[in-house]
Amino acid sequence: MSEFLNENPDILEENQLPTRKEDSTKDLLLGGFSNEATLERRSLLLKIDHSLKSQVLQDIEVLDKLLSIRIPPELTSDEDSLPAESEDESVAGGGKEEEEPDLIDAQEIYDLIAHISDPEHPLSLGQLSVVNLEDIDVHDSGNQNEMAEVVIKITPTITHCSLATLIGLGIRVRLERSLPPRFRITILLKKGTHDSENQVNKQLNDKERVAAACENEQLLGVVSKMLVTCK
Amino acid sequence: MLSINLIRSLKLYKNKIWSLDFSQGILATGSTDRKIKLVSVKDDDFTLIDVLDETAHKKAIRSVAWRPHTSLLAAGSFDSTVSIWAREESDGRTFEMDLLAIIEGHENEVKGVAWSSDGYYLATCSRDKSVWIWETDENGEEYECISVLQEHSQDVKHVTWHPSEALLASSSYDDTVRIWKDYDDDWECVAVLNGHEGTVWSSDFDKTEGMLRLCSGSDDSTVRVWKYMGDDEDGQQEWVCEAILPDVHKRQVYSVTWGFNGLIASVGADGVLAIYEEMGGEWKVLAKHTLCHGVYEINVVKWLQLNGKTILATGGDDGIVNFWSLESFGKDRSKNAD
Repeated sequence: MSEFLNENPDILEENQLPTRKEDSTKDLLLGGFSNEATLERRSLLLKIDHSLKSQVLQDIEVLDKLLSIRIPPELTSDEDSLPAESEDESVAGGGKEEEEPDLIDAQEIYDLIAHISDPEHPLSLGQLSVVNLEDIDVHDSGNQNEMAEVVIKITPTITHCSLATLIGLGIRVRLERSLPPRFRITILLKKGTHDSENQVNKQLNDKERVAAACENEQLLGVVSKMLVTCK
Repeated sequence: MLSINLIRSLKLYKNKIWSLDFSQGILATGSTDRKIKLVSVKDDDFTLIDVLDETAHKKAIRSVAWRPHTSLLAAGSFDSTVSIWAREESDGRTFEMDLLAIIEGHENEVKGVAWSSDGYYLATCSRDKSVWIWETDENGEEYECISVLQEHSQDVKHVTWHPSEALLASSSYDDTVRIWKDYDDDWECVAVLNGHEGTVWSSDFDKTEGMLRLCSGSDDSTVRVWKYMGDDEDGQQEWVCEAILPDVHKRQVYSVTWGFNGLIASVGADGVLAIYEEMGGEWKVLAKHTLCHGVYEINVVKWLQLNGKTILATGGDDGIVNFWSLESFGKDRSKNAD
């Protein structure tokens, strides 16, 4: 008898999947607000006190008033307001311009693969917890002239799951198509989650076998179907 | 340490270059896009002279090999066939190659093709775990399979012949290299080289006369040198792992080449080209070059002779072939390397 790891897993709803924290807190606190200046100030405040229980953040109205006092008067000319803005940015801990334009993190990888459909369930790999945010490791300097690496450990739904290789192939195809060429992709089964772990791992990371699989139309058809649900 | 300098860079494909071979001034390359390209290399002139009919194969070209001292080219494809191409008779000014034969037999992807030094045998290997040895005539039109070697337990990734003897080495996904020898037209496995901890991607024989050695590159990121020690009573050859070369690569080693100059070169997924030299029985890194194909992986490396110089050619996932020279203190070492 094989050990059931997560057959009958707790199926996660789409909105329960991990997403970038900033985004969720923005939604939570700001609702439909989309004024960039306000957004930036709020993310600044969020950095000061990240917890949602923060007293300040609890009272949105007071906060708004507080913030509006700091907004530069609207009538100032562009030239005058510019330095104020840049000052704001520097306070916010390095504005977007200073960030590496292309830095890719685990959440971004997760977003790319979590919505891949499981080949036998009408659910996504994220919902089935086949892929998990904490099992994604990314080493990326953001420099497009340096090599980067992503290591993904997948958790098959059952220890003898014959579709583990197909799921791994789907993830690899998705990432090879989406990530910049500097990325070396390693896909492994999480330790102890599969009976023929080494065999599957070897196959999933054999460049030649993967290339040949991608020329197999039947296989590619199945993979394409899995990827249709990707956003 | 010497420096490795880029002589020339040729962007030939949008896709991966899987294989390259150079003979009589012509470079042949094989790629995922099913096109075999031929580049004439004379002095400093690099000219694309022919693109072979891409409908000959239905899938990627994995391996190309010139028959020694001829204008005959063999190409192995993921479509499970091997094609043979011959230079068209012409006035000598134009260069064109035509399909001469298609060899069928393997059950699935052909991964390697290699000609024996005398050109009479062609060895092919495949994901079907077998190595086939084909005998051919002078024109290379007819191919008869004389042996099917099935001892490997997994895909056979690469085959290569000894530079003078009828001795074949095959590298496999089963982590071993096997040595095959001809006993009265019956090919037998005479040695299994165990030691690598991952797929062996390629191997190459020592070119020094009277020295029976082999180097191999593996998924385990190491390059090893193996040495023939002698025969036992059962006619089996005894081989030992003589050295594991200095740890240079951080990822899979996809290709190794042993030059007539005695130097070994290796490339792999980490984009590094490393050259090793044996000094007093010990292997040292003579030179190393990183990001040889930018951030792309390198699939193949070969020593070749160009204008009396010994240089290196590499092919990568970026669809580029790069030519490299080995130099020290501004002096070109390759000129008197052999």
